[in-house]
Amino acid sequence: MDALAFTQLPLAYDPDTKAVSSPSAPPSLAAELADLTALHKSLLALDNPSKVPPPPVPVNPRRSAQIQKLRESGNAAYRKGQHHEAVKLYGLGISMALSRPDWEPASLVREEASGLFANRAQAHMAVQQWAEGGGDAKCSVELKKVGNAKAWWRRGKCLCEMGRWEEAREWVREGLGMEGGEADLVALSKEIDAALEKRRK
Amino acid sequence: MVDWLGLAIPFAYLAVLIGSMATFSSLYRKRKAAKAASLGPWFPPHLQRNIYLSLLHLEGSKKVPDTVLKAALLRRATEDIHRIIAVRTGKQACSNLLQRGSVGDELWQRFQRAERETEEELRDVVNEANGIQPGWGQTIFQSANEIANHDLIRRRIAEEETETAREKDWWEKKRAGIQSDFMRELEDEKRSTSATMDAPVLATNKGGAPVNAGTRGGSDDDAVLVEAGGPAAPGGTQQQTSGGGGGGKKKKGKK
Repeated sequence: MDALAFTQLPLAYDPDTKAVSSPSAPPSLAAELADLTALHKSLLALDNPSKVPPPPVPVNPRRSAQIQKLRESGNAAYRKGQHHEAVKLYGLGISMALSRPDWEPASLVREEASGLFANRAQAHMAVQQWAEGGGDAKCSVELKKVGNAKAWWRRGKCLCEMGRWEEAREWVREGLGMEGGEADLVALSKEIDAALEKRRK
Repeated sequence: MVDWLGLAIPFAYLAVLIGSMATFSSLYRKRKAAKAASLGPWFPPHLQRNIYLSLLHLEGSKKVPDTVLKAALLRRATEDIHRIIAVRTGKQACSNLLQRGSVGDELWQRFQRAERETEEELRDVVNEANGIQPGWGQTIFQSANEIANHDLIRRRIAEEETETAREKDWWEKKRAGIQSDFMRELEDEKRSTSATMDAPVLATNKGGAPVNAGTRGGSDDDAVLVEAGGPAAPGGTQQQTSGGGGGGKKKKGKK
């Protein structure tokens, strides 16, 4: 490849919608242009006059504070038994954590969102929404695999409640591999084995 | 007097020697270049780079603002991050395979070319970034790295969300199935008792309603339950009506 050669693409910029577009673009190009437009809009929302993203650290603490606040009010609602309210508050926190500007540290997103997902899973479980609870716990684990025993346990429990014993066993086994003999997970694993044994008879 | 004829011989010798060497060298190089060019590229075409350069070359009234170029350059740097990670992780494996003879020399050449090109590309992006905004070149790849990680997170979460929606549907259906099975069992039980003894039908029906309420206490439509149980109670002497009540519940359960 020549260092200077490139393929000229028929691109056009619309100053009103701030969108870069291309007539009859193949799907990959269209998707890339959509990403570009989204990134451009978030650049325009920057405070600094140069509109160049600042280095990832230090982070502006405002968003983290808001997320923390939503999390605490969610916890308070959960403790008062307002589980649906807690689900809603955690959901707000999650969307706030996930909509952090792209150039800010992704590890921070993982940390915050995984905690919120785990909490929302618990709130779902309190109102017996096993499918949603299991999904949230899985998201939490997906974001943070190690040191997240509660989320591993919660998905395992949800799978049990839905009667998916085989999957639950696989899941808890994997969780034990990650967490290494966490007491709750061991207890759940025994419970699952007993249930499977009973069903086989 | 100089002997021109005598001198011509060594000169002719030199000319032939240099000429043949030059011909060989140019032919060899041409062939090598053709061979290298015929090797497939390691990476697919660099879409983000094409977009950036295309935007940069828009002229006149179609000229785009600087912020668009910055965004496009960031996207390009993000793609470069993916590529440099692929190169770094692949290098060890590739050289191991080459040493063991599992892959041909051609693959190794393609790989090395990809590595060289990626490094050039990184330098190019740093230069472009410094050209747009002095000092940006030092941080653009840090930002691009975070963007790449964010993309990964977004994709995974989106996948999980569709998965959860599917699981939710499945579970609702299954729960409705379990409930209707349970109801049918209950009906069968009721039918058999009412067939054997006509008199205490009312009593079994009365007994039936609380059981229903109990089983569905966990679900979120308790209010509907009471209603659905309602019509069955007054006409409870008939099997048909109680059957209708059961049907109504089935529908409610699916909701």
